[in-house]
Amino acid sequence: MTCVPAKSLLESYLDDELDAAQRVQVAEHLASCSSCAGVHAQLLELRAGIRTHAPYYRAPAGLRQRIQVSVRQADRQADRHAPAFWRWIAIAAAILLAVSAAWNIALFRSRTSSADLIAQDVLSSHVRSLMGVHLLDVPSSDQHTVKPWFNGKLDFSPDVRDFAAQGFPLIGGRIDYVGGRPAAALVYQRRKHIINVFTWPSAATDGGPELDRNGYHVVHWGTSGMSWWAVSDLNVGELRQFENLYRQ
Amino acid sequence: MEAAPKAALFEKTMLPHLDAAYNLARWLTRNEHDAEDIVQEAYLRAFRFFDGFRGGDGRSWLLAVVRNTALTWLRREKTAPQVSFDEEMHGPGSETATVEAKLVEGARFAALRNCLDLLPAEFREVVVMREMEEMSYRDIAEAASAPIGTVMSRLSRARQRLQDCVAARMKEASK
Repeated sequence: MTCVPAKSLLESYLDDELDAAQRVQVAEHLASCSSCAGVHAQLLELRAGIRTHAPYYRAPAGLRQRIQVSVRQADRQADRHAPAFWRWIAIAAAILLAVSAAWNIALFRSRTSSADLIAQDVLSSHVRSLMGVHLLDVPSSDQHTVKPWFNGKLDFSPDVRDFAAQGFPLIGGRIDYVGGRPAAALVYQRRKHIINVFTWPSAATDGGPELDRNGYHVVHWGTSGMSWWAVSDLNVGELRQFENLYRQ
Repeated sequence: MEAAPKAALFEKTMLPHLDAAYNLARWLTRNEHDAEDIVQEAYLRAFRFFDGFRGGDGRSWLLAVVRNTALTWLRREKTAPQVSFDEEMHGPGSETATVEAKLVEGARFAALRNCLDLLPAEFREVVVMREMEEMSYRDIAEAASAPIGTVMSRLSRARQRLQDCVAARMKEASK
């Protein structure tokens, strides 16, 4: 590489924005060209100067809390001043109810399997949780906060894990009621999608094919005496990926 | 006080970037009180537009809102001295630099800080985001609502100006 292309790439090199091949070429050129090496050294010096001596202003104490207060206030006001929003929610709920009633009848007629009944329960619970009524009892991304929270509230202790590193951060949990018994509901987030995971002790530990209902996907699996059901509007592929994390 | 789900999700996603938001606002306005007001207003705006947030770590999205709020504020604020770098270069020498001239290193860094303050806002913000927040070109482009090429050229010109400005200050100080 000659000086002209090297100089034009120098700042991208400094900012670590080059691909590996270009990075090597620039580095080789710098080793052999004192003029370019000088320019590079000056850029490094400027960077060191800024990072060491230009102040990084941290937010003053109390600002975080003031923001929380004003955001929550705005949230409550938005609830009050947005009747149109709630009207749509009411319409959506009515449609859901009608669909669910029709579904119940269809289920009754076709004597569908218990897995389908649970799937329906799980789905209704998921939708209810997203209507803004009750998503989290224990909002926390810390598995060591969420797991003990269930102590004394359930007759089992759910296996709570955080997959933030894999892109499925835990955001909390709550108690829910599925298939006629209390279940632990763990809530995860994938981008803007919420995943509700329900678990309870069950002898039926085998998984099954995913179920698709009204644009939602439900997957289920079993591990050592526990039944697991995950539901989300996330695509099936990523929901399966999430399942595999839990199975490991 | 328990936060509703939307507020809880918003706080969880956006509050970790509070320092980044404040630092950017502080460098853009060069004033701590205004920076605080701007950050608070920006968070409220961000909350209002949170449905438009497409996921990710949220920092560049939030900084875009902070930046817009700050720039609106800067335009409104007629009293804010919009000293351009060129005027400064051809104008009389800075007192800050001469006062601290005896300590050469001290002077260099006072000059650096001062020169950074004197950069036009669109140059200053890319330096803050790149050098202090260590953001990628792509993230800076998102936060500054500008193409990556524009970010690169602003950053490059900002660095050139900073180097020239510091060199000029040091020369003055050594007179």
